[in-house]
Amino acid sequence: MCVGLPAKILTMKDGMAVVDAHGAKREISAELIEDLEPGDYVMVHAGIAIAKITEEEDD
Amino acid sequence: MDKTVTLAHGAGGKQTNELIDQVFKKHFSNPDLTSDDAAVLSLDTEKIAFTTDGFIVSPQEFPGGNIGKLSICGTVNDLACMGARPRYLSCAFVIEEGYSMEKLERIASAMEKTAAEAGVRIVAGDTKVAGKGQVDGVFITTTGIGTLQEGVRTSGFSARPGDAIIVSGDIGRHGLTILLAREDLGIDAEVTSDCAPLWECVESMLGVTQDIHVIRDATRGGVGTVLYEIAEQSGVGILLDRAKIPVQESVQGVCGMLGLEPLYLACEGRLVVFAPRQYAEKLVEVLHTLKPSAQAAIIGEVTEDQPGRVVVTTEIGAQTLLPPPGGELLPRIC
Amino acid sequence: MIDRIMSKRDKQKAEELNEIRSYDGPPVRIMEVCGTHTHEIFKLGVRQILPPQVTLISGPGCPVCVTPVDYIDKAIYLALEKQVTICTFGDLVRVPGSQGSLANARAKGGKIQIVYSPLDAADYAVEHPEEEVVFLSVGFETTTPASCLAAKRAREAGISNFSLLVANKTMPSAYRALKDSVDVYLYPGHVNAIMGTDTCRELVQEGVSGVVAGFTAEDIIHAMATILKRYAQGEPFFENCYEQVVKPDGSPGARKLMERWMEACDTEWRGLGVIPGSGMRLKEEFRDMDAEIKFAVPKMQGSAPTACRCGEVLQGKCLPTECGLFGKACNPLHPVGACMVSGEGACSAYYNYGSR
Repeated sequence: MCVGLPAKILTMKDGMAVVDAHGAKREISAELIEDLEPGDYVMVHAGIAIAKITEEEDD
Repeated sequence: MDKTVTLAHGAGGKQTNELIDQVFKKHFSNPDLTSDDAAVLSLDTEKIAFTTDGFIVSPQEFPGGNIGKLSICGTVNDLACMGARPRYLSCAFVIEEGYSMEKLERIASAMEKTAAEAGVRIVAGDTKVAGKGQVDGVFITTTGIGTLQEGVRTSGFSARPGDAIIVSGDIGRHGLTILLAREDLGIDAEVTSDCAPLWECVESMLGVTQDIHVIRDATRGGVGTVLYEIAEQSGVGILLDRAKIPVQESVQGVCGMLGLEPLYLACEGRLVVFAPRQYAEKLVEVLHTLKPSAQAAIIGEVTEDQPGRVVVTTEIGAQTLLPPPGGELLPRIC
Repeated sequence: MIDRIMSKRDKQKAEELNEIRSYDGPPVRIMEVCGTHTHEIFKLGVRQILPPQVTLISGPGCPVCVTPVDYIDKAIYLALEKQVTICTFGDLVRVPGSQGSLANARAKGGKIQIVYSPLDAADYAVEHPEEEVVFLSVGFETTTPASCLAAKRAREAGISNFSLLVANKTMPSAYRALKDSVDVYLYPGHVNAIMGTDTCRELVQEGVSGVVAGFTAEDIIHAMATILKRYAQGEPFFENCYEQVVKPDGSPGARKLMERWMEACDTEWRGLGVIPGSGMRLKEEFRDMDAEIKFAVPKMQGSAPTACRCGEVLQGKCLPTECGLFGKACNPLHPVGACMVSGEGACSAYYNYGSR
């Protein structure tokens, strides 16, 4: 139901972010997640960041 | 000269001549293109290949080419796929009233350059102007004649079990370029059309062996559609290795974003080749020496079982059907 | 970072594939709730490596599949009778209504604009003040925040030519409605990314097991291996196999936004009927952006084709291949039911990937 794509935040301005997913760049809304900054990875769905991707903690 | 094309340019009078002289003759000029009613040509072979194709693309100019380049590539590539050296082309324009003269000239200029690259002459042409809204910018139809090499016989009906399947470069770039230019999806990716004339690639492959069973250019519908056509026509099965299919990273990225299958994105400069296994490496080797086919790869093989089907080996080692072609490409989001 | 995660997971994947293949525990029915899971599971050929006692059921988590026929009829009515510009995800364009699809409406002159994001629809409305723009707002908790953001953006821009045709749905009641047909849920990771994992943990108390899963080959294999390992142990369980994206609390920001703009309502699920409280609608104060009210859309008698068994398919009561229309009258080029038209529907997955 929900095609999502991991992407890296390149720039941020006024709650909007430009993200890069393997060379595909797009402006998305980043206003629903707190404390995002360039270099972070987010899960993108329908033009908004729905989650910040964190590194796995185990091993 | 006027800045835009008007209905008067299509009326057959002085302004028509002006348009022809200043745009088309300027770029297409060659000894076989005369003002007579038809070109008189001589060919030195017994067999010719003959084909025609209409071109409609919106927008008419896109990263990596324009409708002019496309209209030459499409027809010379159709000839090349039959193993025929492209020789002569005709082109017919239907231009929308109000179309920018400057754009039209860029289109004609691209046709000149591409025709030279493909080693083909434009020997006949026609221009019509249609009222505003009756066509979308400009439509071009090209018709081509090519001369067949002795002993070459490629056909979609000739794939045989055991054949290797080669694709001449990374796939899907043209279709994606147009999709990104046309739909207002807000996605920015460094993708340019793969649009290119391919006779040189075919000629160099025929230098390796004349025993090539199938050559198709993957245009509308992409490589996936071509594979299904050939599986059907030849009554064979096709087994692809997903990991071997060359796809540029940014194409993969956009496809991921929009839920699209790169195998179904149009190409305008990619051949799908079926040849006996023993020639496959050598064919790829010669393709690698040419610019449009520098990324050529062996992507699969022809099988006896599952005739008419295209099966993909997936990244977990299972085999699934490639979803059959399904009409208009629509981004899948929710 | 993503590359590093990938390579580490690659090794893990090979081991987990072996664990799945050699599962010798009791029979188990696993429902993948999410359409994107259905699609990926078929694309990867996961079913082929499963032992025979493991059954995968494709659940109701494809918003296109559960959107009732009359919704499409209303969208077409707006496009053709009210001459509004419809902005929609590509997914909905080919879905058949009672009489034709949005693609047919476009051929009749309706203006149908495909968008990647609801925000694009709002932007389109800002840029085209002379047009009335309606966004077809479908989807689950993952997608609903994007619709709310679009409404918010339009409101902030002070425009009055933007509205939503809302058919958003929420998952929890569907989990409960279907729990008797299922032993373990493969939860839709991106819904959990918004909603967190509380509901899943509550369901364990009710004896319903499940794992949250991501969508790559590695994610899905990892989740399947985890399910089989835990199921063989015999106790109801919940595990989050998508921790890098799904936090226990989900996305509080997204939930807050949804609560601001929308409220729960009863809604019809195609094939499942009305599930109380499982729908979303705009709150009273934002009803001027509800396209149904704004354009006084009349009640539609959405008639689904009678021989179509999509409803049973969605509940896991019937395999797509058991439907008399499957592959004959109903195929992806000429879909009869919604499960065939959506690329994520179970019927289309069975057809397209040649499930044998």
